[in-house]
Amino acid sequence: MTSALRKTITAGVLSLGVMAGLARAADDTVKVGILHDLSGTMAISETSLRDVLLFTFDEINAKGGVLGKKIVPDIQDPGSDWPTFAEKSKVLLEQDKVAVVFGCWTSVSRKSCLPVFEKDNGLLFYPVQYEGEEESQNVCYTAEAVNQQAIPAVDYFIAQGKKKFYLIGTDYVYPQTTNLVLLEYLLSKGVPLANIGGGYKKDSAGKIISAGKYTPFGHKDYQQIIAEIKDFAASGDACVISTLNGDTNPPFFKEYAAAGLTADTCPVVSYSIAEDEFRSLPAKDLVGQIGCWTYFQSIDSDANKTFLANFQAWLKDTKAEGVVKEGRVVDSPMVLSYDGVYLWKACVEKAGTFDVDAVRKVWKSGISFDGPGGKVTTQPNMHLTKTVYIGESKADGQFKILKTFPDVYGEPHLKGTFKPKE
Amino acid sequence: MLLLSRLPKLLRSLLLAVLLPVPVLHAADTPRQTIVKAILTADDNQKRELITSLVGQGDEAIRELFTAWRQDNLYVYTAPDGTKIPVELSGDKDASGALTATRVDTGEPLKDAAGQPLHLVAAKQAAVEHDARLRLAMKNVVDLLDLGSPLLAKRLRAIQTIGAAQKPDKLPALLARSALETDSKAKAALREAIAVIELADPSDDVKLKGLTELRDLHASASYDLIKTARAKGEADAKPAIVKAADTALAAIDQHKSVVNFFGTLFRGLSAGSILLVVALGLAITFGLMGVINMAHGEMITVGAYATYITQKVFGEGMQFTLPFVKIAVHLPGLHLTGWAYQLYFVAAIPIGFLSAALVGIALERSVIRFLYRRPLESLLATWGVSLILQQLFKLTFGSNNVNVDSPVYLSSNWTVYDVTFDWNRVFVIGFAVVIVFGVWLALTKTPLGLLIRCVMQNRTMASCMGVRTERVNMLTFGLGSGLAGLAGVFVTQLGTVGPSMGQEYIVDSFMTVVVGGVGSIFGTVVSALGIGMADQSLQQILLNPVMGKILVLVAIILFLQWRPTGLFAAKSRSLD
Repeated sequence: MTSALRKTITAGVLSLGVMAGLARAADDTVKVGILHDLSGTMAISETSLRDVLLFTFDEINAKGGVLGKKIVPDIQDPGSDWPTFAEKSKVLLEQDKVAVVFGCWTSVSRKSCLPVFEKDNGLLFYPVQYEGEEESQNVCYTAEAVNQQAIPAVDYFIAQGKKKFYLIGTDYVYPQTTNLVLLEYLLSKGVPLANIGGGYKKDSAGKIISAGKYTPFGHKDYQQIIAEIKDFAASGDACVISTLNGDTNPPFFKEYAAAGLTADTCPVVSYSIAEDEFRSLPAKDLVGQIGCWTYFQSIDSDANKTFLANFQAWLKDTKAEGVVKEGRVVDSPMVLSYDGVYLWKACVEKAGTFDVDAVRKVWKSGISFDGPGGKVTTQPNMHLTKTVYIGESKADGQFKILKTFPDVYGEPHLKGTFKPKE
Repeated sequence: MLLLSRLPKLLRSLLLAVLLPVPVLHAADTPRQTIVKAILTADDNQKRELITSLVGQGDEAIRELFTAWRQDNLYVYTAPDGTKIPVELSGDKDASGALTATRVDTGEPLKDAAGQPLHLVAAKQAAVEHDARLRLAMKNVVDLLDLGSPLLAKRLRAIQTIGAAQKPDKLPALLARSALETDSKAKAALREAIAVIELADPSDDVKLKGLTELRDLHASASYDLIKTARAKGEADAKPAIVKAADTALAAIDQHKSVVNFFGTLFRGLSAGSILLVVALGLAITFGLMGVINMAHGEMITVGAYATYITQKVFGEGMQFTLPFVKIAVHLPGLHLTGWAYQLYFVAAIPIGFLSAALVGIALERSVIRFLYRRPLESLLATWGVSLILQQLFKLTFGSNNVNVDSPVYLSSNWTVYDVTFDWNRVFVIGFAVVIVFGVWLALTKTPLGLLIRCVMQNRTMASCMGVRTERVNMLTFGLGSGLAGLAGVFVTQLGTVGPSMGQEYIVDSFMTVVVGGVGSIFGTVVSALGIGMADQSLQQILLNPVMGKILVLVAIILFLQWRPTGLFAAKSRSLD
């Protein structure tokens, strides 16, 4: 045996020993990042996601953890400041070396930390309905793609005999992109451009670059727009497709009700209102309006009932700081966060390692999980196949389910796929 | 009655049936009894006639029974004594597979001789048959059912739906209904629906008649249908129709522009009134007293939360914990219902004023009175107070926004000549008038007003003359804050109540006061209404809320370059 070889072997054995020692030290835990705003404007929505993630971790840890390791949450609060998302992602991936990150709500926050995840080959689970046109290998989109929320709702209205569609949204990337896709979709369904309300903008080449009416964040005065909608809906076969953001909804719906519009004459589907948002909305003015999600709290299934009971029990007992215990409801982003953790667990266990590339490979092969909202299955394009529900809001802030579309394939790239009907 | 001669016999009988909604033959029959007869008779023609005779009735039982009939849930039960009783079987099957039986003639449960409810097995009863022609007859009745509904909204909707379908066979029913209709709105809707159906008629004369009628009605709801008719006229090379359609469209466009004009005027007035209500308190604390009060927005929030608490107390009551001192406050609810509950908003007006005034007075005593000669420090200090108050709201009421219901008397509207007047907007205009008048009275006609004016003009001199300036300062600041509280009461009707809602109003408030001229209440009134009007008209013209706002701001900047003292500068002899 040459000395070089002996040296190599010694070094190998030594390093194996060191690695084993390290592994033993971290043997029983795995660090998982939570990247949600717990302060600032988005805190209202995202705190609930933090809560449900902590609940899921506790649930999994009580049953033995992932690959025998207990999950330890590493919570980072970017404070509703988009550039901070990138910094906090760096902390999670490079310094704390977490196995996976669950986080982000707004599209702009996701876009902001995406480069970090791609550079460090991290894995981000993103649970909130979004505009599509993105397919990063470092993001698991448990969120609703446009064809899992916006399009089924439009189909529902078309089936109801609606002929005119008014598009309105808050002025940022999600409503703008969604409405452009919807415009193409409506045209492909033979709806003439004149029957799509809210106006549109064309670029110099005559291509439509923006469709619908937009108001800024925090807009309060909807008088003029409601008057326009009332005129638009006079023929009795119109509906409104709203991508208005949370805090602009109360003034919109109060004005809508005061102007004498009702869900019977001109229903509104709101893509940003789920059960959790209802807690601070004028429920009375929203009765009969339409919601479209891949989960409603009112789903009548054993899986959902068990999930709700467990979550409420956890809320009661938890010692976690800052968790509001009373009046809690569950909505789609929360359930998609929950599903996300279990899908990650399933992928890790099948791969036998926490390694991101291995986990991604398993994700692409198609893993299923029976969640509270029904079965979800991972897809090669990093999205999920899941069941879409259309519900009608009730005075108590819950939704009555009107229609179910089972196993809808998540399709992020829709722009330009719908051709106008000749 | 050009159309009538071409109608099939059945439809003519349908029309006659509607003209005489309760045929003499069945004078004593309820709709249920008529249906029983229709079920029991063996003659198909008579069946149809009986069913058709129900057209124009508004009884919901008809819809329910016809649905049951079409879904094969009606059966004929033969009683032990041989009488045949039609029943509807419904509910869940019991152990023997039997269902609950409801009598068609009364809607009551079917009972046996002993008075016990009977359960029947569907397979053992004679099912009530139906064929395509019967189903069509039933559908016609159900479609027209809402035409006779006692609810105006339902009737209007039914009229519009029937019209928009443009089916000539529905024409007789509409004509019949318009003979009976007394409500003017429904009458106009009927005329419109009839005209719209005439548009689809093959005859040019009828089409022209429909178009003329729609032109006279300014039927904006039928705009799209007229366009379709025009396109068809063009395709068929019928210049007369195209011309009539163009005339009708032009008439509607003109009507719309008149409606838009008055609508915009009203919306501008209401937007201006909101600005005025919000800025009036600041016109006193900043305009008259010269305190740059950055916590003005939080006074609005105090008024809004006071409204929220009042609503809760009128209802189920509420509990909250005061931060830091950890005192749990339990407000018992009055559990009022109906109108008594709806009055919470009226009660909230003085409560909102007083609570904001008290907070204002506390703020004046603790912070502002030391800073009267140092306006820039007062800016910083009140800004700090504003942040502290926001955190206190958050700790007390939670960071989630809360909602104040709109009382019934603020959540509807009047429609005059197609212009919508929302009650809450009408209210805010009246509210603004009353508040401005009240402030004017208080400042010019009361002893306190006199003192306020002289202290504001020259604090030192007034003090020398024996005026208790400290007290006057305190009361003036309290008045200004109280007015902000009143604004807070009203803005609960526009959106939700949250810890940082005041921030949304502070910029608008300062803008209004500065444009109007610091120190001039009248200036604030003019500038609020002017900004509101400009904003709404620009929105209307540009069809874009953001661009409208930007243009208004640009205009204000230019205006202040030209007149830095605002619209109505307060004349002063002081050398500042």
